[in-house]
Amino acid sequence: MKVLELKNVNKIYNSDEVKVHAVNDVTLDFAEAEFAAIVGPSGSGKTTLLNLIGGLDMPTSGEIIITGTNLSKLKSSQLIDFRLNNIGFVFQSYNLIPVLTAKENVEFIMTLQKWPQKERDERTFELLNAVGLGDRIDSRPSKLSGGQQQRVAVARALASRPKFVLADEPTANLDSKAATTLLEIMEKLNHEEKITFIFSTHDPRVVKMAHRVITLEDGKVVSDVKLE
Amino acid sequence: MKEEFKIAWRNLWRNRRRTIITSASVFFAVFFAVIMRSYQLGTYDHMINNLIESFTGYIQVQHVKYQDNPLIDNSFDYNDSLASAISEIDKVVSVTPHLESFTLASSGTQTKGAAVIAIDPVMERNFSDPESKLVKYRITDEAVTRLKHAGAIPDNVLEKVKKNLGRSFSSSARLELELGLADEDNENCMPEILKCTEVSNGFLTANDEGILVSDRLASYLKVAIGDSVILMGQGYHGVSATGIFPVRGIIKIPSPEIDNKLIMMTIPAAQKFYDAEGKITSLVVNLTGKSDRVLKTVKAKINILLPDNNTVAKTWYELNPILYQQIQGDSQSGQAMLGLLYFIIFFGIFGTVLMMVSERKREFGVLVAIGMQKKKLKRIVTIEMIFLGAIGLVCGLLASIPLILYFYFYPIVLKGDLANMMEDWGWDAIMPTAWFGPYFYWQAVIVAFMVVLATLYPLRKIGKMKEIEALKG
Ligand SMILES: Nc1ncnc2c1ncn2[C@@H]1O[C@H](COP(=O)(O)OP(=O)(O)OP(=O)(O)O)[C@@H](O)[C@H]1O
Ligand SMILES: [Mg+2]
Repeated sequence: MKVLELKNVNKIYNSDEVKVHAVNDVTLDFAEAEFAAIVGPSGSGKTTLLNLIGGLDMPTSGEIIITGTNLSKLKSSQLIDFRLNNIGFVFQSYNLIPVLTAKENVEFIMTLQKWPQKERDERTFELLNAVGLGDRIDSRPSKLSGGQQQRVAVARALASRPKFVLADEPTANLDSKAATTLLEIMEKLNHEEKITFIFSTHDPRVVKMAHRVITLEDGKVVSDVKLE
Repeated sequence: MKEEFKIAWRNLWRNRRRTIITSASVFFAVFFAVIMRSYQLGTYDHMINNLIESFTGYIQVQHVKYQDNPLIDNSFDYNDSLASAISEIDKVVSVTPHLESFTLASSGTQTKGAAVIAIDPVMERNFSDPESKLVKYRITDEAVTRLKHAGAIPDNVLEKVKKNLGRSFSSSARLELELGLADEDNENCMPEILKCTEVSNGFLTANDEGILVSDRLASYLKVAIGDSVILMGQGYHGVSATGIFPVRGIIKIPSPEIDNKLIMMTIPAAQKFYDAEGKITSLVVNLTGKSDRVLKTVKAKINILLPDNNTVAKTWYELNPILYQQIQGDSQSGQAMLGLLYFIIFFGIFGTVLMMVSERKREFGVLVAIGMQKKKLKRIVTIEMIFLGAIGLVCGLLASIPLILYFYFYPIVLKGDLANMMEDWGWDAIMPTAWFGPYFYWQAVIVAFMVVLATLYPLRKIGKMKEIEALKG
């Protein structure tokens, strides 16, 4: 089953008198439980593409369809709700709400979705244990290391069982050990929860762990390799 | 909503120092504004009360032309039934008729212009109470000699008494105050001093044909009780008014200016003197409340009772337009100062908001990106702002309450020239605070308004925010 389809997606920036074709005629689809890396040199359009997929930005042309819903058909407040219910996000840094504890951060999306407290608690403990932070539930982000913060962010992204999780260079600010740990956790959860992960990266060791590698160059998909 | 409150509350304490500084600035603004305003309003009240309750009254019934042209010709017909009808009106506490005019007063070779106030000796007790102003003690050469002979008085006390030679006093308390003796001397010598300086005095009976003369005027005219004074003036419709009046009593008026020229007599005597049968120049009405609303309703009710269009009721501020304008002017400049204070505080709050928004731009971006509706985010920021304003506001108001209460019941006692002047006018030289009123609640309104104004900025920012731009930081 396809969770995500991109059809002839283009993104053209027209600022500063230079026209930048940041995403150039990209057509892709993603199935359930994929573990896909988007790679390419700096400026190749990875961030732009992930933002389009996540409904944070609108394509200049083309269609993005998530489990049957065409993103460009949604009003901005509907889009926010759509993101809440369908997409998990892990950003490069400063993902977490600084005034909330690890547990509250993971719970946050479920709270927005009005889950009952009991189910929220169960899911939160399950995920925090899964990311290896079962003993840090009451720590605020400022008391956690960068790697631990990213793990909490992954737990939060998965909390409400989205269709897929987007992560733009989630390991960029981590040392290689923490990066590997994070990826291992992501892979494990991808496997256990059957949730698609799409992440961009520069790090060859991270790329090695992906099950599918999409390479961009100047906004175009130049290769799309599935490794099993 | 609970979640929003939790996040807002925690956000507030994220930058503890900034929150404390901002709240403290609101606190001090509110605190100073309340205290300052309370003193201002309290002082006006005190002034108005003193002036109104013993000089003009809250409302006066006059001939329409009397205020501009205070002549006996501009008097009006009066009977007791009008006074009793007015005293039936709700909130009216006293109704006092006056017949006021100017004459020349002479005795022997001395002549002086004098203000004549004709009163009803009984009704007047509720208003200016001249009986309490009768001279009871007088420090004369004779009194000093008597004191000396009595022995028992130490020299330094005698010196102090001598310093006040020629002065007279309407109460022992006043005499005591003016002498300013040490506690011990006071206790030992006062009874003797009072005994030696005491003078006999008299008052007017209901239809008395005699007069009361103010102390300074009496000494200028060189008259004492039992002597006579010749009054010459213009009566009703230009008739000349002349009469000879026996002095029944000497009154001490705190204001030297008035003490120099006041003569009091009964209304019937004055009507006869001026040939103004049945007429008075003003009917002074005192009230229990002095709000604008009360003044206006009572005034309207009195106007209905008045027989013709030649007599009208006027409020104290119509009667004292200059004082009223002064108070208004002073009050406005006070308000302008508070306005400035709040203006500065507003920029403090606004600065905090600006920093808060720029610091948290990325965080706002993350929140909306992961699925928080902007509406909800706006609510959190609004709650934060309300907390920020409310902490300072509530603390400021609470802190001001005990001060206002204390200085309301135990007002600051003034010293120096201003105090002497006030006491000369027979007022308490105090600076009380005003009781809690709209001025108190208005601070809340002002702070709320500032907070709303400052909140508009982040709300607008959030409304226009583009997630990807915010995420870039
Ligand atoms: N808001 C924007 N306005 C104009 N041009 C932009 C904008 N955002 C991105 N671009 C351009 O689009 C191209 C793709 O940028 P993007 O950030 O997607 O690259 P990337 O692959 O994520 O790079 P990196 O690996 O450095 O993060 C770049 O040439 C960039 O300059
Ligand atoms: Mg990028």
